[in-house]
Amino acid sequence: MAEFFSTYGSLIVSMVLGALLGLSLYLPLMTGQLSLASPGFYALGGYIAAILSTKVFTSSSNLFPLHLLLLEMLIAGLVSGILGLLVGIPALRLRGIYLAIATIAFVEVLRVLSLNLEITGGAVGIFGIPQPFQTQIEYLWIALPLLLISMILFYRLERVRVGRAFTAIREDELAAGAMGINPTYYKVLAFTLGAILAGIVGAISAHFLNTWNARQGTFDASIIYLTFVLIGGSRTFLGSVVGGMVFTALPEVLRGIADSGLFPSWLGWLAQFLRDGRLIIFGLLIVIGTIFFPQGLVTPDIFKMGKVKK
Amino acid sequence: MDISLFFQQLLNGLSIGSVYAIFALGYTLVYSILGIINLAHGAIFTLGAYFTYALMGGTFGFNGLLANLTLPLQLPFAISLIIGSSLAGLVGVAMERVAFLPLRRQGSDPLLTVVSSLGVAVVIVNLIQYLVGAESYTYPANTFGNLPPAINFGTVEKPIPIRTVQILIFVVSMVIVAILTYFINRTKYGKAMQAIAEDATTASLLGINSDRFIVLTFFISSFLAGLAGTLVASSVSIAGPYFGIAFGLRGLAVIVLGGLGSIPGAVLGGLLIGLVEAFVPAEYSGYKDAVAFGILFIMLLVRPQGLLGRRFVQKV
Amino acid sequence: MNTAFIRTTALLPIFALFFTACSSSTVSTNPANNNATPQTSTVIPIGIAVAQTSNVALLGQEQVAGAKIAEKYFNDQGGINGTPIKLVFQDTAGDEAGTINAFQALINKDKVVGIVGPTLSQQAFSANPIAERAKIPVLAPSNTAKGIPEIGDYIARVSAPVSVVAPNSIKAALKINPNIKKVAVFFAQNDAFSKSETEIFQQTVKEQNLELVTVQKFQTSDTDFQSQATNAINLKPDLVIISGLAADGGNLVRQLRELGYKGLIVGGNGLNTSNIFPVCKALCDGVLIAQAYSPEHPGEINTKFRQAYLDQFKKEPPQFSAQAFAAVQVYVEALKSLDQKSKVNKLELPALRTELNKQLLTGKYNTPLGEIAFTPIGEIVQKDFYVAQIKMEADGSKGKFTFLK
Repeated sequence: MAEFFSTYGSLIVSMVLGALLGLSLYLPLMTGQLSLASPGFYALGGYIAAILSTKVFTSSSNLFPLHLLLLEMLIAGLVSGILGLLVGIPALRLRGIYLAIATIAFVEVLRVLSLNLEITGGAVGIFGIPQPFQTQIEYLWIALPLLLISMILFYRLERVRVGRAFTAIREDELAAGAMGINPTYYKVLAFTLGAILAGIVGAISAHFLNTWNARQGTFDASIIYLTFVLIGGSRTFLGSVVGGMVFTALPEVLRGIADSGLFPSWLGWLAQFLRDGRLIIFGLLIVIGTIFFPQGLVTPDIFKMGKVKK
Repeated sequence: MDISLFFQQLLNGLSIGSVYAIFALGYTLVYSILGIINLAHGAIFTLGAYFTYALMGGTFGFNGLLANLTLPLQLPFAISLIIGSSLAGLVGVAMERVAFLPLRRQGSDPLLTVVSSLGVAVVIVNLIQYLVGAESYTYPANTFGNLPPAINFGTVEKPIPIRTVQILIFVVSMVIVAILTYFINRTKYGKAMQAIAEDATTASLLGINSDRFIVLTFFISSFLAGLAGTLVASSVSIAGPYFGIAFGLRGLAVIVLGGLGSIPGAVLGGLLIGLVEAFVPAEYSGYKDAVAFGILFIMLLVRPQGLLGRRFVQKV
Repeated sequence: MNTAFIRTTALLPIFALFFTACSSSTVSTNPANNNATPQTSTVIPIGIAVAQTSNVALLGQEQVAGAKIAEKYFNDQGGINGTPIKLVFQDTAGDEAGTINAFQALINKDKVVGIVGPTLSQQAFSANPIAERAKIPVLAPSNTAKGIPEIGDYIARVSAPVSVVAPNSIKAALKINPNIKKVAVFFAQNDAFSKSETEIFQQTVKEQNLELVTVQKFQTSDTDFQSQATNAINLKPDLVIISGLAADGGNLVRQLRELGYKGLIVGGNGLNTSNIFPVCKALCDGVLIAQAYSPEHPGEINTKFRQAYLDQFKKEPPQFSAQAFAAVQVYVEALKSLDQKSKVNKLELPALRTELNKQLLTGKYNTPLGEIAFTPIGEIVQKDFYVAQIKMEADGSKGKFTFLK
């Protein structure tokens, strides 16, 4: 078991972070808004943590103090939230397509900025980020509680007034407006909450990956997170969690299969294709998912399984 | 900045801007009919360039499944360009049938179609990489016959060299824009397309079969994408499977600037962004990529309908 | 409803664990199942973690080729005093997380004695600290950025840093044309390697008392450089220096030439590949590129390596393949020396890794790159550097690197 954890520790943490990123993309989708901005806020959060921990919070101890990591996560979340407001307000006054375009542009502008600024280290990025833990698996102490707290909050959110307003806007924005719900207010709220979450995850990831650079949180990454949410299910937050975990693990599972030699050679070839061509499969899943499972694979009906049908 | 340099950058800006313009035309056509942005447009642009390369008898490199593959034919550039772009057009039609039509039948949110087009883009780009690898390919040297690489518009003392390829691209692009404008405004088909763009329901009541026109629109749009891809590749080589992505992102800024769904807007937007990029001074060259997106944000704040777009009407 | 929800929630982490457990129950090539058993296996595993997928694979596949030639060559020579080596390949893909996962698999699952990799410096900054903590030696075959050996005691490299290699090409340009005064510099700002390299280039320009007339930035994804080339040519430079990759660098060379630039062009290491030939064709002719490896290097080992590569790929071996070969060679020779002191297959794995790391830093190696050694922190000490000039056929169909004396 010890060997299992030392081999797959990083992967397990990545899966939890993947689930959180799925959630950050799911929030704007709750109001029916397609936003690809999550990776941008994720990159921003990572830079904030990387700069703070290498330049400001330099500590002499062997391990980076945990309370400083939590402080970084807080700052990253705040800054991302403020920026989310600034981007969200103009873009969300308009129809959904404008938000999609604006968020793609936003991610690109952030990338260009991080390449040009001194403080972000250009293309080389920032390295030697101090570690709060001895091993990779211990990052679960931070990531897992964050995921559980987020899930509890989402569970509550889907059942209180705000969440119902989100859903009403998603189903029919005009009707929701007529009922006295202010669509722009709720759309900006959902977008900003997603930005805050992505920023916090970025702050953890910067420590987790030891280094941070402009290759983190790009347009390609948006597509992968989108797959998490769409295939997992865009009607309940659990879909994003499951999707994020499964799709993060998939390449590594395929690596294991390809390495194992347990399979006959033709299956090994298939595993190799599944791994090398995994983005082709991601793309196909996005298309198939939108057409056949516009609600995703994990739908609210799942909870009705254990209940007696009336 | 002296006058010869100014003139030269003006021409550079117009030439790259004309490529942005024909690229954005395809975006805009699809938007005006369906109200969606087809994010696979950039991938089809790339695909067109690869098709033309294969038709001209180009060999594919040593990685990917199709290593060292050559088609047993060597067509001249002009013919390959037409066939290659038509193939790209057919891929566009197939994409519409497979990935967009089912969604339209379900009456789903247009945003789902945008997501679906993103999926198609991911498939095309990665399929190219899987099949022919990530290296660059260049059209054979005799593509344009024996034209000189550059033409001097100035004097011997004060040269103003402009690459011949760029002049060709500019001329071809402007011809395409002219043909398309004529087609949309003067022919029966074009008028029917306009009617669908205006109001699909009424158009179908008038007996216009909108499904047929949607197919036609996708063919034209993807044909233009493939053509633009081939033209750019003839100037700068096919720089790998991700070749069209940068154009795809810039194209978004172009159509927002010109106005979503406006054909003259796409042309104007493309030329403007090309010109602005050409005049970015050397010390700010690192920010060149952000120029188009900066313009996009400003437009969103100031005039969301774009330069030549119409005010939004919320359909109730 | 609520209980169902809690059940599902509780299931998720378990499900996730199960998911990964499935994939870990794989048969390891080594019957060693925990760290305390000695290496009693019949082969000695060495890990190769380079990019075999993604767009970084263009470089990674050259490294795989070099490493495989080394594996065959040294096993034909009897391996480690009779015990053969076995290379274990784990794909890092192009990103940081993939590199960490590949390293973890090599360290814990495949139980390798040392790692060669990763392909990019950015990946190294991410994954090397993990190897450092696991106390396993890492030899970088292609990381040239500043600060790689400084990551830790277990990190060394066989790829000479840009600071040593890059200046040679400027000196060669000055030899060809002593009248160079004005220099224009271009670099791909989104590529870590090019950014480190351009800093060295610009510093060298200043040290040689040349005038830097313009510095232009671009992206590796850019293809149209006309306005930037126009701006630069207008300042009448005698030398243009380009740090980029094959596609963008090749396009820049082509557009500079077509717009009438006649002077010398120096390319960085990213242009040091035959992938540039199809991009600028006949116009590539004359570009100067500094090299850490020359196929024409005399010496028995390089002759053998070059022949093996020629037989297999019908072209001259590139620098990346030679460096990967050299990295494997360093491990093999260090293991041999270690084996003579204390039998390698009697040592427990952690001790073996630590001893191997100590041993490899002290040795001298006669590789295809020439004679190399390491400083105590793990920086390569290399004697021979070269400058090559691209020579193209008149029709631009074929090209080769010819080495300047």
